[in-house]
Amino acid sequence: MTAIADVFPSVVPVPEVREPGEGRRRIIGALTIVLGLFIIFVFGFGSVSGSHSVVTFNPINTSSGAPWGLSDLTVLTRWWNVVLGLIALAVGVETWLRRPAGALARFGVGGVMFFLALLLWSVRQPGPAPIGNINLTSVLVNSSAVIMVLIYGSLSGVLCERSGVVNIAIEGQFIGGAVAGAMVDSVTNSFWLAALVGILVGGLVGWLLALLAVRYVADQIIVGVVIVTLMGSISSYLNIQVLAPYPNLNIGNQPSNVAIPLLYKIPVIGPTLFDENMFFYVAIALVALISFGLFRTRWGLRVRSVGEHPKAAESVGISVARVRYTTVILGGAVAGLGGVAFIATQGQFQPGITSGYGYIALAAMIFGKWKPSGAVVASIIFGLSAYMVQNLQNSNVPISTEFLTMFPYLVTIAVVAGLIGRVRPPAADGVPYKRD
Amino acid sequence: MTDTATSTDATSSIVSPRRRWWDRYSSTSPITLTILALILGIVIGAIIIMVTSAPVLNAWRHSFHHVGSFPSTLKITFDNVAAAYRAMITGSIVDPTLLFHSISTGHGWDVTMTPISETLTYATPLIIASIGVGIAFQTGIFNIGANGQAISGGIAGTAVGSMIHVPMIIHLPLTLLAGIAGGAVCGLVPGLLKAYTGAHEVIVTLMFNYVVNAFLIYVLTSTALQLPGQANDISRNFDASAILDPIFGTKSGLRVSYGIFVAAAVVVFAIWFLKRSSLGFDFRVTGANPNAARASGINPKFIIIALFVVSGGLAGLAGVVQAASTTHYIDGGFLVGSAGIGFTAITIALLGRLQPMGIVWGSLLFAALGVGGRSMQAATGIPLDLATIIQSIVVLFVASPVLIKEIFHLRKGAQSFQMATKGWSS
Repeated sequence: MTAIADVFPSVVPVPEVREPGEGRRRIIGALTIVLGLFIIFVFGFGSVSGSHSVVTFNPINTSSGAPWGLSDLTVLTRWWNVVLGLIALAVGVETWLRRPAGALARFGVGGVMFFLALLLWSVRQPGPAPIGNINLTSVLVNSSAVIMVLIYGSLSGVLCERSGVVNIAIEGQFIGGAVAGAMVDSVTNSFWLAALVGILVGGLVGWLLALLAVRYVADQIIVGVVIVTLMGSISSYLNIQVLAPYPNLNIGNQPSNVAIPLLYKIPVIGPTLFDENMFFYVAIALVALISFGLFRTRWGLRVRSVGEHPKAAESVGISVARVRYTTVILGGAVAGLGGVAFIATQGQFQPGITSGYGYIALAAMIFGKWKPSGAVVASIIFGLSAYMVQNLQNSNVPISTEFLTMFPYLVTIAVVAGLIGRVRPPAADGVPYKRD
Repeated sequence: MTDTATSTDATSSIVSPRRRWWDRYSSTSPITLTILALILGIVIGAIIIMVTSAPVLNAWRHSFHHVGSFPSTLKITFDNVAAAYRAMITGSIVDPTLLFHSISTGHGWDVTMTPISETLTYATPLIIASIGVGIAFQTGIFNIGANGQAISGGIAGTAVGSMIHVPMIIHLPLTLLAGIAGGAVCGLVPGLLKAYTGAHEVIVTLMFNYVVNAFLIYVLTSTALQLPGQANDISRNFDASAILDPIFGTKSGLRVSYGIFVAAAVVVFAIWFLKRSSLGFDFRVTGANPNAARASGINPKFIIIALFVVSGGLAGLAGVVQAASTTHYIDGGFLVGSAGIGFTAITIALLGRLQPMGIVWGSLLFAALGVGGRSMQAATGIPLDLATIIQSIVVLFVASPVLIKEIFHLRKGAQSFQMATKGWSS
């Protein structure tokens, strides 16, 4: 509709309508205001007057030398949090009144304020936390492992779903990649070989999904769910039958970090982005590669056309089945590589070690609106909050971490329900294609 | 094209043509396909046993060097597989030697009947939850959140069962109703979101599973529900008046409880609901053809919400039955991870082709595989997970009937069961 209006403005009159999503932007504004008030009254005035928090920036241990040091920052918890809350509040009020197009980004600002305020609040002294400082660098470095895995998983989801196949089996591909990666690396002591085998195993699981969903037109969601169960039980079976009796098949090597010269010296950002293992860099490269591939190449156009309107694609000579096959296998391979990356950061394989990250990656993909870049943003949000939950549980803070655990899931539900921002999947996503 | 496929399926299930009894066993009938899928699952399971058990592998390695030992290698292979499956059957149904002993001496019935009692105990919540999932499937709704709803029902049931003190005649029904309510509330939210915002139920219910898991830990560590004097995530115990007692008394050691009658009641209810009630009819019409349903005055929003309430309520009942008949309390591991019943319920609903009686058979089969897998692990050291592998493979085949027909060169013609598929948006 809009396309025709763009080309022939006189033929199709564009009706004057109220811009869609105005009401939603109001809701987002309201949510941001609530966030701001929460920060002010719980994290701000909830801390004793005169209590202070220490923020440190220097990494505790790095593989390749410390970045340029920053001195510790000691702040008054109450007033800093009030300021952070006021910022969120101001942004929220602005969103409520002006209903700008970038409402979601403003909500993101509120979210960052919330995150920082929570960090300051959780380490305040005098307070309940045993350790009186928060190391911003190690928060980011430690959460980067989960973020990386989620990026792999959501990229796999983006690939498959852009071609019209729902890949709910990401978790299964993670598991396959993780088992295979742990075993191959233990035997060969090479993470490159492990990655290769992980890609093959993930691709194999993707092929199974494609075979049943594309060729035998089975329900994609059911097949995906069952494949996850299958891979979970196979990994657990292998663990008892093979890995337990032969512990040298499950040594749990971890790859060493590769520091990028000079860049790794930048405080906070350096250790987070430029002093990581190879899987991290590969993930970043994949984001760029898949973004480019999907939106700038012939191949990507074909994939997307098959996902949006298979019949039209077929009519111009594109084989829907073949495109879907290759894309799903490729997606499975990406997730399989993600499984290897995950086991590389975790060490030894245990059944259930992926603990639902595949499903969270699925949510991150939806949150990121089926775009690689969006998937990255969503993965960062989900990964950070997952790490925070773990960290707060360990640090004895009297906050119900259960509600923090729920946070990313509730946000996903809100996004899917269209409460904040509207998501639109590829039109033929999940619909098997049968030639007439 | 999916629409036409769905509507023919639905027509045949709403108005079934006159069929002779042997048609049920013809080569294209769903029952045949299910049995073939089971056979394929067992065969693949046997292959997995062969390639992963050490004695078999050693025998084969030996026979590469000594050609003469080939027959004994085959025998070792066969014995290993047979021992595993024998343990599975005797551990889940009945051990013939024990049965013979009991018949001839009249003693030891408790021990003889233990396997079947365990199978029934495991099957009870599975039957209830799978019927809930199956009802949702019939309307084309994919309720992947049965596990969260079951946990939610378990929480509500435990709260009522452990914190209210009234006579059994009130307490037990109240506890079960609380479980239903807990599950229904947990199902209501995805239903409302689906009906009013179009949010896809798969992702919402999936996310809800995680939310409920976190909520479970929260309530178990809150003062209200936590066992007094405990720091762990463990709930108070059910009152004796809220427990589903073992049918044969606690002394016999047979765990099969009155919960089995609850499951039977659910089966009867489901058959009545789907075949005779007007709401059930509306459900099926909506599933078969949403447009026709809307044209005939059925409010699709109401149907979706009602459907999630019914489906979630049954899952919640499954949760409370599980707690009230086996453990009598809940802890942080209640229906979490591998102990979960939600995903199993989905697969069973498919296996039973969404029909209540089919689901009963499917639940019994899966429960037998689970219980038998346990005794197989004890007897032969082959991990219990083999049972789950077989279950998954069977369901993969059942979900793609075209594949089975190709493998066994069956006729393609007749209609077969296939889930209506659709995408995220609708």
